[in-house]
Amino acid sequence: MAQQKIFDVVVVGSGASGGTLAARLARKGVDVALVEGGPKLNTRTDFNTHAMPYEFANRHIPAMKPGKPGMDSQRTRGAGGKSQTWNAVAWRFSQRDFKGQDWDDGAGENWPIDYADLAPHYDSIEREVGVCGNRDGLIDLPDGIFLPPVPLKCSDVLLQRGAAKLGVKIIHVRKSTLTRPKSGRPACHYCGNCMAGCDVTAKYNSYDVHIIPAMRQTGKLTLFSDTLVREVVLSEGNQVTGVATIDRVTKKQGEIRGRAVVVSCACVQSVGLLQMSKSRRYPEGLANSSGQLGQHFIPHFTGGIEFLLTQLKGKALAEAEGFLDHAYQPSFMHTRTRPYARSFGAQFGYQNRRGVGWARRFPGFGADFKNAVKAAYPAYVVWSPYGEKIPDGRSRIYLDPQSVDEWGLPEVKRELSWSENDWKIFNDMTNWGREIVHASGGEILSVSTVPVPNHELGGCRMGSNPKTSVVDSNCRTHDVSNLYVVDGSVFPSASEKNPTHTMMALAARTAEHLADRLKKGEL
Amino acid sequence: MAERRETLKIIGAIGATCSFPYTGNELYGQHQEAGHAAHAVGKQASTGPRKFFTEAEFALLSVLSDLIIPGTDTRGAVQAGVPGYIDLVVDANPEHRPVMREGLAWLASQGFSTMDAAGQIALLTPLSEVLDHGRVKTMPERFFRLAKNLTCDGYFTSQIGMNETLGFKGGSMLAAYPACEIPEH
Repeated sequence: MAQQKIFDVVVVGSGASGGTLAARLARKGVDVALVEGGPKLNTRTDFNTHAMPYEFANRHIPAMKPGKPGMDSQRTRGAGGKSQTWNAVAWRFSQRDFKGQDWDDGAGENWPIDYADLAPHYDSIEREVGVCGNRDGLIDLPDGIFLPPVPLKCSDVLLQRGAAKLGVKIIHVRKSTLTRPKSGRPACHYCGNCMAGCDVTAKYNSYDVHIIPAMRQTGKLTLFSDTLVREVVLSEGNQVTGVATIDRVTKKQGEIRGRAVVVSCACVQSVGLLQMSKSRRYPEGLANSSGQLGQHFIPHFTGGIEFLLTQLKGKALAEAEGFLDHAYQPSFMHTRTRPYARSFGAQFGYQNRRGVGWARRFPGFGADFKNAVKAAYPAYVVWSPYGEKIPDGRSRIYLDPQSVDEWGLPEVKRELSWSENDWKIFNDMTNWGREIVHASGGEILSVSTVPVPNHELGGCRMGSNPKTSVVDSNCRTHDVSNLYVVDGSVFPSASEKNPTHTMMALAARTAEHLADRLKKGEL
Repeated sequence: MAERRETLKIIGAIGATCSFPYTGNELYGQHQEAGHAAHAVGKQASTGPRKFFTEAEFALLSVLSDLIIPGTDTRGAVQAGVPGYIDLVVDANPEHRPVMREGLAWLASQGFSTMDAAGQIALLTPLSEVLDHGRVKTMPERFFRLAKNLTCDGYFTSQIGMNETLGFKGGSMLAAYPACEIPEH
């Protein structure tokens, strides 16, 4: 029976982290089982990539075409995970991001690694998958190996000029999206449907860029789709031996065995899986002798301002949607005195132009109303900041055994509170947003007044002290020497930067470490 | 809170990813929770026979939606199929049903269908002013708010609204993205 085979490594989750890790291992000759809770899919044909809202009676565009499963669940299950529907923003963290505690008088946590530890892996990911961007020479946002950036939109140019009056830089966004053909993938065609699933794979997704090529070229990667993992199995000898599974469709139970297990099923689910994996040795969840598993939940928080750029009002819409946001306002706060720890960055207009919910709030009705909305449309921009949350001692991820899904798995819940520091960043970033809008000749339509979480991070904190962290600097759990966690859950400190590029660099680094240990016969 | 609740439901029905400001649920679940519910509604949805409104109600609603977004140099709400969209949304959101039913009955009681356009506009204008500047309290005011919101949603997500009126350019396929040229002044 295939299930009785013992793989070198079992990777749980096929998203950006798990997909990168599995492909990198397979290419080093490691025998890998990649376990994905959702179905296989065909990126080319299964997504509603180019659909318009008016093709659907209720104007809601479903993620998948009729009869094509995947991505519709709360868990974003399906081959490639959230990398299928991400917006592909790709930043390198800076040395300050890894050592935020030192820069902010002890607030938050340091990573146990430095920028120099990840730099070669950022290099290799950028060379391999293609990241576009401009080399800006910023200390807080290290440059990489970039494909050419995409030109700024007219709105970006106006905002860049406005922000410059305040001494604030606005730069080209950097994305894992091709601006030149590469490795059989075409360049972006700027349709604006990035987050609907990129049917041509100009935008990186782990399934088409990492998993499928590695399966074909190495023969070392086996994908188990529609396979939910309910437990990571632990031996009497304090080693993991594989994972206990449930077939998503038939609900049949099974097991996949390996010499090492890597949990990469996205922050919240990774924590949940370890919490579900209880044993006599680890009654509060696997690899949780520290009691830190699920603690230090540090998602980004966003807010935002929607506004009209006066210069663009009443003009014909100047451009197509491009690949959504083309500009970025990098953190500049490290250079300024401020009454809080950490910082924020901001994206411009990453929402596409298909929702015009703001029209409801224009006054009146009739021809004047219609014409006012029409005139505002080309001038409409959303400024979307991301702030860094530092661990607050209360925000956490936990299981709710009272709420069980159709496979018998408990619901993984999130408790989130906003600390004084979070509110200070939130208010300050909102104020900066207002000032930039005003300096750019904008009229504010609405200002978001509450932080909203996004980019889930933390819960399996990386650290050198086994009493205060779950994994070590190699993403290996302190408690179990052949169990690893590789995804956003290991971030001890979030930075304000979109996290996926750093997860992929961590996955590349962990692949080297694991291949090395296998070679030495340690596993 | 009533306003917020109403917004959440309707956003769910028209595509959560595009809306602003976000509500916690939508962003938190990767937009999936609201979207999933809406998808279920979509499966039953069709452009077939009316689900909720009577013939007479539908006729009144059509006049009303075309007063909110009339034909100008581009086509208006009725030609964009907005009344059919509203029928679908009201049917799928039970809390909207009494507001619409009572509101349309109120319109009829005012002799709306026999008024000329100027009279109809005069009847609606005070409701619109309360919505813009005051506090929505009475049944006719709540009714007008809902009718305007749903007309906006339906119109600006229709092919006529998006392409003809707004000049939407998305969905284009470009070999290269054009640089913007706005002279510095």
